Amino acid sequence: MISLTGTPTLQTERLTLRAPQPQDADAFIAFFASKRSQFVGGPMTERQAWNFFGTEFGHWMMRGFGMFTVTRHGDDTPLGIVGHWYPRTWPEREVGWVLFDPASEGQGIAFEAAKACIAHAWDTLKWDTIVSYIDHGNDASVALAKRLGATLDKDALPTKPEDPCYVYRHHRGTFA
Amino acid sequence: MIDIPNINTDRLTLRAPRAEDVPAFAAFYASDAARFVGGPMTEAETWRYLCQVIGHWGMRGYGRWIVTLRDDDAPIGLVGLHNPLDWPEAEVGWYIWSGIGKGYAVEAGKAARAHAYDTLGWTTVVSMIAHGNDASVGVATSMGAQREEDYQHPVYGAMGVYRHPGPEALA
Repeated sequence: MISLTGTPTLQTERLTLRAPQPQDADAFIAFFASKRSQFVGGPMTERQAWNFFGTEFGHWMMRGFGMFTVTRHGDDTPLGIVGHWYPRTWPEREVGWVLFDPASEGQGIAFEAAKACIAHAWDTLKWDTIVSYIDHGNDASVALAKRLGATLDKDALPTKPEDPCYVYRHHRGTFA
Repeated sequence: MIDIPNINTDRLTLRAPRAEDVPAFAAFYASDAARFVGGPMTEAETWRYLCQVIGHWGMRGYGRWIVTLRDDDAPIGLVGLHNPLDWPEAEVGWYIWSGIGKGYAVEAGKAARAHAYDTLGWTTVVSMIAHGNDASVGVATSMGAQREEDYQHPVYGAMGVYRHPGPEALA
């Protein structure tokens, strides 16, 4: 295996956000093969999920930023992926979030990780605007976007013209 | 950010894929020439696919290189060691989209095969070739590979399997 190096690690009160590593693939594939992934591109076959994990990995090389694997301090078990996502042909740069296991929900983990990634986008990556693309029906993600201070931007373009989604726009200074 | 080794041959350099390679890669995958290797694909799909090529290095520790001429960094092909989740075993694969007919696929394919044997210590390698891809069969044959029983791929259907001579046979 060959690891990504030179990638940042973000620390929050409870969490360590690090670049994806090959040992995260199993948890990632299990999630994207399950119905839980219905609002974030899945469910998909294991071969598709394996390839998609490769895309997550390669995104870091192609863009210089990407999705982090979220772990708790002192425990490298991957809880989900949260971070910066900008595949070619997407209209804007996104901060996105996924928790693999329902047992990780309800503890503010996605909020805490996304908040750190939003700050990283403003302060380090120097993005001038940030959106989160959310599938219709993904009420939990809409609630999180609102909790993060984002507001629905009805004029923004979806990721694919033929596939409408909500575009929530974040606002600088929300957590200042 | 990821440590992919470079390889030089007489005429070619094999190096890590980069964002600047996307236009050439996308042009190839938009063309009919890509029909034997999973194409055609949209530009968006192609970008993700090139990410996967990089991710494969991470997950397997080996992968495919962008091929260039030694004195020109423009990408002319993708060649290397490939073993996605649904392959029966690791293969050496190639596609060259510029400078066809000059033996570049054989030259780069031999370098990738030598990397598999000499650096990674593999004892065998195959090439998986879609039915009808006669040019690729010609490359495999030039490299001494011999056809075995087809592999039934869950999406692509029957694929030809060509087994290369092992490291002892090439020594």
